[in-house]
Amino acid sequence: MNIIQLNNLVKKYPVGNGEFTALNDINLNFKEGEFTGLVGPSGSGKTTLLNIIGSLDSPSYGSAIVMNKSIAELSHKEAAMLRNQHIGFIFQTYNLLPVYTVFENVEFPLLLQNKNATQRKNAVMEALEWVGLTDKIKSKPSMLSGGECQRVAIARAMVKKPQIVLADEPTANLDSKNSHHILQTMQKLNKELGVTFLFSTHDEKVMQYLNRLISLEDGKVISDTIKNA
Amino acid sequence: MIQFLFKGILRDKSRSLLPVIIISIGVFLTIFMSGWMKGIFTDMIDLNAKFTTGHVKVMTQAYAENEKQLPNDLALMDANKWLSILQKENPEMEWVQRIHFGGLLDVPDSNGETRAQGPAIGKAIDLLSPNSHEANRMNITKSLVKGSLPSKNGQALISNEFAERFGVNVGDDITLFGSTMHGSMTFQTFKVSGTLNFGMSALDRGAIIIDISDAQQALDMLDVTSEILGYFNGDYNDNQAELIKTNFNNKYTKADDEYSPQMYKLTDQGGLKEMLMQAENMTSIMVFIFIVAMSIVLWNTGLLGGLRRYSEYGVRLALGEEKSHIYKTIIYEAIIIGSIGSIVGTIFGLSACFYLQENGIDFSDLMKNVDMMMPPVYRAIVTPDLFYIGFIPGLFAMTLGNALAGYSIYKRKTATLFKELEV
Ligand SMILES: Nc1ncnc2c1ncn2[C@@H]1O[C@H](COP(=O)(O)OP(=O)(O)OP(=O)(O)O)[C@@H](O)[C@H]1O
Ligand SMILES: [Mg+2]
Repeated sequence: MNIIQLNNLVKKYPVGNGEFTALNDINLNFKEGEFTGLVGPSGSGKTTLLNIIGSLDSPSYGSAIVMNKSIAELSHKEAAMLRNQHIGFIFQTYNLLPVYTVFENVEFPLLLQNKNATQRKNAVMEALEWVGLTDKIKSKPSMLSGGECQRVAIARAMVKKPQIVLADEPTANLDSKNSHHILQTMQKLNKELGVTFLFSTHDEKVMQYLNRLISLEDGKVISDTIKNA
Repeated sequence: MIQFLFKGILRDKSRSLLPVIIISIGVFLTIFMSGWMKGIFTDMIDLNAKFTTGHVKVMTQAYAENEKQLPNDLALMDANKWLSILQKENPEMEWVQRIHFGGLLDVPDSNGETRAQGPAIGKAIDLLSPNSHEANRMNITKSLVKGSLPSKNGQALISNEFAERFGVNVGDDITLFGSTMHGSMTFQTFKVSGTLNFGMSALDRGAIIIDISDAQQALDMLDVTSEILGYFNGDYNDNQAELIKTNFNNKYTKADDEYSPQMYKLTDQGGLKEMLMQAENMTSIMVFIFIVAMSIVLWNTGLLGGLRRYSEYGVRLALGEEKSHIYKTIIYEAIIIGSIGSIVGTIFGLSACFYLQENGIDFSDLMKNVDMMMPPVYRAIVTPDLFYIGFIPGLFAMTLGNALAGYSIYKRKTATLFKELEV
């Protein structure tokens, strides 16, 4: 069962009078539970691809089917619902809400889902346990290290138990020790919960954790390797 | 969710402090100014009622037409008959006669020759009846500087300023030169029983107050009065005044007899109705101006807030929050902040009004040369509407300002979120 199907996917951006092709005829399928990295030089289209899979943008041609929903055909509202319920995001720069505590940051997606207080508390504590931050629930993001912030961001992405987690260069701002820790955490969640991870990266350290590596160049897939970890 | 927003507002001072301050100030000014203005108008009306208009007033139609000239030749005959009719038909009210007159006050020396002379406003009121409230009503008891109230016929009160200027002491004689209601010259000597400080420059420059019976005798006005004033037991009530007036006029006013009595209520006289309406209008105009001004300011702070929280809204969109939901939270936040600001402003505004209700500001020095009937001490008044009136500009401006500013969320593209959030 493919959780993500990309068929002849093309993404063009209007530039001046013409168009710029950021993604060119992408055909990829992702199975549930994959742990996949997107690599490629700057400008090769990694972020663009994550954008489309994450229903933040839509394809110009071809189709992107995520959780049996065609991204191109979703309204704003349906796209928001898809993200809210099934997709977790992790950003390079964490993007935690600064005025809220660790607990409240992780709780936020559940507030959007109208979960009750007990459900929220249990889920948040569970998510913080996964990333090893139960002792920091009252801290504000400003008091945390970069690595800790990214772990909070992972907990926030994971707390609603999404099917897919998309991460754009999640280790780019972290040192090597923290990068390994983050990758190990994500790998563990991937194995234990079967969540599909897809992330873009420049980071050599990341490669050893992947079980699939896709290389992009000029908007095209130039290699797609499945490793057996 | 509301709780979540509330936490954000309390913790993020830069999100809430400026708007709260702006709203508080606006709400404070709205309440303060409307309480202050109401106080002034209420005092002015009260003062006018006590001194001039009564709550209702009966005059002949002819007298009413020329009231300013004190035309006692047109005064109301059979005063006692009308007084008892009014008392019988409206026993819950107090009815009193007054005579207004002008004249010269002459201060004689020990030989009875004129030592000094000055024009004076004369008022004759019921000072001698044991159950008359007139002395209190006209604030005479409190305004007494020297001496005491007249206790028998032939005594008079004069303004203290006049007394000092002409060296008149309590116990001295003073002669009033005036004209009778039939137009002939008359003079009458009174013993000064006390001097008064009215706090109203028109009267302080020269006034004489005598008992109504003395005036009727001196001015040849036996059983005649300039006017009969009626006072409710409490505050003025326009509906009731209207009712009493209509009943009386239907019964006793004759269109073809200009000497027949006619009743006027407080708001019929001296432009008081216009003044009252103006007070109401000014409050509405003020509220409106504050709404517009604050909305514009708060719109701008809302726009700034939107910029500052650009990435927060971005993350929330990425996490799957709908635009309409974010917009709703912006409005909720505005309502919360607007309420906080309105409460703070209302507390301060009410406190200021309460303070000025108890301790007015004395403007009498500034108004030495003002001839209008103005209260010397300006007080605010705390009316029930002051408790909510501030919430109208406070809440409305904050909500409107943020509704406008927050609208930009609908223009936001999700397609660029990742890029925006990477910096
Ligand atoms: N909104 C846009 N309008 C026009 N061109 C765009 C837009 N977004 C991306 N592009 C272009 O598409 C190409 C792919 O961009 P993308 O951000 O996907 O690259 P990337 O692989 O993520 O690069 P990096 O590793 O630097 O993040 C780039 O050349 C970029 O300039
Ligand atoms: Mg990128």
